[in-house]
Amino acid sequence: MKNTSVDFKNQVTIKLADAKLQDALSRLQSRFVEGRSAVISEIHDLQETRDAAAGIRDRVLNDLEHWLLQFEQQATARGAIVHWAESGEDVNRIVAGIAAQHGVKTASKSKSMVSEECGLNDALEQAGVKVMETDLGEYILQLAHEAPSHIVAPVVHKNKEEISDLFAEKHQLPRKTGIAELCREAREVLRPAFLNAEMGISGGNFLVAETGSVLIVTNEGNGRLVTTLPRVHVAITGIEKVVPTLEDVSTLLRLLPRSATGQSITNYVSVLTGNKAKEDHEGPEHFHIILLDNGRSKLIGGEMQEMLRCIRCGACMNHCPVYQNIGGHAYGWVYPGPMGSILTPLLGGIEKSPDLPNASTFCGACSAVCPVKIPLPDLLRKLRVKQLENGMKSRQETFMLRAWAWLSLHPAIYALATRATARLLRLLGGRDKLLHILPGASGWTDGRDLPAPAGQTFREMYQQGKRK
Amino acid sequence: MQMRVGFFVTCLVDTMRPRIGFAAIRLLETAGCEVVVPARQTCCGQPGFNSGDRKSARTMALKFLAEFEAFDYVVLPSGSCAGMIRVHYPDLFRDDPALHQRFAALAQRTHELTDFLVNVARLGKAPGNFRGTLTYHDSCSGLRELDVYKQPRALLATMPGVTLNEMVESTTCCGFGGTFSVKYGELSTRMADNKCKHITEAHANTIVGGDLGCLLNIEGRLRRKGDHRTRVLHVAEVLADVEPDATG
Amino acid sequence: MNARDKILGRIRDAQNHARAGNQMDAIASHLEQHPRGPLPPPPDDLVACFSERALKLSSDVLKADHLAEVPQLLARYLNERQLPMRGVCWPSLAGLQWGAAGLEMQSRPARDDDPVGVTGAFCAIAETGTLMMLSGVETPATTSLLPETHVAVVNPGRIVATMEEAWDQMRKECEQPPRAVNFISGPSRTADIEQTVTLGAHGPYRVLLILAPL
Repeated sequence: MKNTSVDFKNQVTIKLADAKLQDALSRLQSRFVEGRSAVISEIHDLQETRDAAAGIRDRVLNDLEHWLLQFEQQATARGAIVHWAESGEDVNRIVAGIAAQHGVKTASKSKSMVSEECGLNDALEQAGVKVMETDLGEYILQLAHEAPSHIVAPVVHKNKEEISDLFAEKHQLPRKTGIAELCREAREVLRPAFLNAEMGISGGNFLVAETGSVLIVTNEGNGRLVTTLPRVHVAITGIEKVVPTLEDVSTLLRLLPRSATGQSITNYVSVLTGNKAKEDHEGPEHFHIILLDNGRSKLIGGEMQEMLRCIRCGACMNHCPVYQNIGGHAYGWVYPGPMGSILTPLLGGIEKSPDLPNASTFCGACSAVCPVKIPLPDLLRKLRVKQLENGMKSRQETFMLRAWAWLSLHPAIYALATRATARLLRLLGGRDKLLHILPGASGWTDGRDLPAPAGQTFREMYQQGKRK
Repeated sequence: MQMRVGFFVTCLVDTMRPRIGFAAIRLLETAGCEVVVPARQTCCGQPGFNSGDRKSARTMALKFLAEFEAFDYVVLPSGSCAGMIRVHYPDLFRDDPALHQRFAALAQRTHELTDFLVNVARLGKAPGNFRGTLTYHDSCSGLRELDVYKQPRALLATMPGVTLNEMVESTTCCGFGGTFSVKYGELSTRMADNKCKHITEAHANTIVGGDLGCLLNIEGRLRRKGDHRTRVLHVAEVLADVEPDATG
Repeated sequence: MNARDKILGRIRDAQNHARAGNQMDAIASHLEQHPRGPLPPPPDDLVACFSERALKLSSDVLKADHLAEVPQLLARYLNERQLPMRGVCWPSLAGLQWGAAGLEMQSRPARDDDPVGVTGAFCAIAETGTLMMLSGVETPATTSLLPETHVAVVNPGRIVATMEEAWDQMRKECEQPPRAVNFISGPSRTADIEQTVTLGAHGPYRVLLILAPL
């Protein structure tokens, strides 16, 4: 997927003015934020469990090479074929090759954010393979030719009416208006795709090193269908998704669905190991696992490694007041919200996303809910350090920073400057003690007044003994 | 023995609303502390730190250490600046064990005002006679870095004239975020707007908080939208009930 | 150099593990011990806990005194909901008196249009009200997936408290994990449209759990 995050600021303006989107986002907040809050307390010792989860992820990341080798060895021993991909293009080439090798013309696909990184669907269509997205949200997006705006609820930006219109147009069936009817219609339209597909494509929430398994969590059942019915299964996931044991996976599973959708557990958790045995009635004859790097290995051993703990629950975006107001598309790539504001510059190039690390108030709501305790604001701040080092800050901002630092280190001049500022602002505030415009700070005064100060600074009043 | 408290007024209170500083001092003295205001104090360095300028943040941290290390406690009328000192100063000196230790020790003795009053000084009753219906905004750093939530409410509960009407989402960011409020003004304004809606729906005549940055943001949006009635006060002003016009 | 070597090489360089031998030992020991993380407190009554959680996840739960009662219970359940009285079952359940209860059950993996699929379960997990299914010749996964009604006959003696206990049970009874282990926790669902939960997405619309001692 093309990275358009450089356009963030313009997108903010557009999204803030989009009434339908704003309505949709309010739903997300009430359902997901309240949903999480209702079930997360089911976990007996939440903090201990989050610590354990972070520990599990760190155990793997701190020795990723050997855990990957362990996984590869186990998966291969069970008959899976493990592929390694440096980039999205590599993934596309590998999947197209697998399709050609097995004479595949149609594929059914369950939701995979990693495949969105690669732009896999377009590449496969070009290679002559018809791909059907089967996750309801992704299916709707495929019909509408749109990108997901949330990693768990990809079509959160669309309302029921838009989906009704879309289905009526694309399915050529009478327009349905009830949500249950729309779901039933999608089920019936997609059923043949499941039954006829020669290849199933899925993501992978975790790779279990102990057993060489790919684990996927789904609610709709499409994940099970695409990994059970077609004769070829291709699972695509990031190299960081390894988890040591089934016990470790269990700890993470207590947190993932609760953090993501407010469910104690997803409807289905599938642990897929190897291909179909000769006597089996079902299951893929060929199981391919593609491990994508796409910039992840560069983070290993560095100050941003903690980002690789991420298990893609989406809680950070659900709780982010910035995401809540602009939705996912404004972020310009696959991953939105706080985790996306870090991953997009890290994987796509820091120079291509000048705004993302800065578009945060550091309110910390994200890291407070992160199941694997990623210090998201700290990582955003580290990206700001890199931006400054790389000379990406505007001349004006760099000057202001330097001037403020210099002043702060020179108390006498600082005192004069603040006294002058207090007096000037008091003067400009006029009778109602409010500034309506302030040159150089229109970002503030376009939407807000600035309450005027008293006119004297605390320090001067204190020194004059004006104590109360 | 009387606790010797170094008071850091914060750059925003210093310039924009000195009254808060005097209110805080009154509260600390009521709690039995000896309050000292080091004269050369300026800014804690957070604006630069949050903009990626670690180098200048370190220099300012060292200046702060020199001025405040000698006190029994350091108190600030801001969760955001207190968070800078408690959480981020030690982190800035991870590569220097000796300094790191000194900053860690300083962090232990540094408190946001209401946290200090409740958990260290054990102030039993707020001295002010403020009367009114309040709603409280929990500023992000104080809440999430320092666990300041119950402390201001506990103090407000000691005031017979005060009724607290909680707003919904009192812990959601108001959109201030320092330079964010100017750089992403539109987004910041929308967040402030959401906050103002919740404030209005709480049917209070005063919105109270513990960080002046957030309060300026909230007041700025309320006034721009034509609300000139709702009072916007720092929690210290309410607790000490400093007469608004006595000190400007 | 191929992608595998490049990726692993970059990681190796970044982590600079001089002690590869120790690393492998640490991994082997963690795998061998597979330590458990923090667990939910054990429930007083496994069966009650399982049933309560399963109901919360929109499964239906019935209790039978004997396995032989299952066909009658199922027939009544389907009748009440005016659902088709036919479907498929796992071979291990083929011997039940389905016909006598008015049901037409075939012992084979499910096809697209089979309305009812009757399965057993490897075990059940009380902490979330979850069925644990191991795929195999005798335990096809499609039976719990393609039909609109999935019926699972659960032996209350095989309800365990946690996922960890279920894995240990699997390690004890199976040489290696089967091709597919599926946790099933209620009917398939989607909340993709306006975050409104709708039961019956691509899998079953309803899941009936019949607790029956074997």
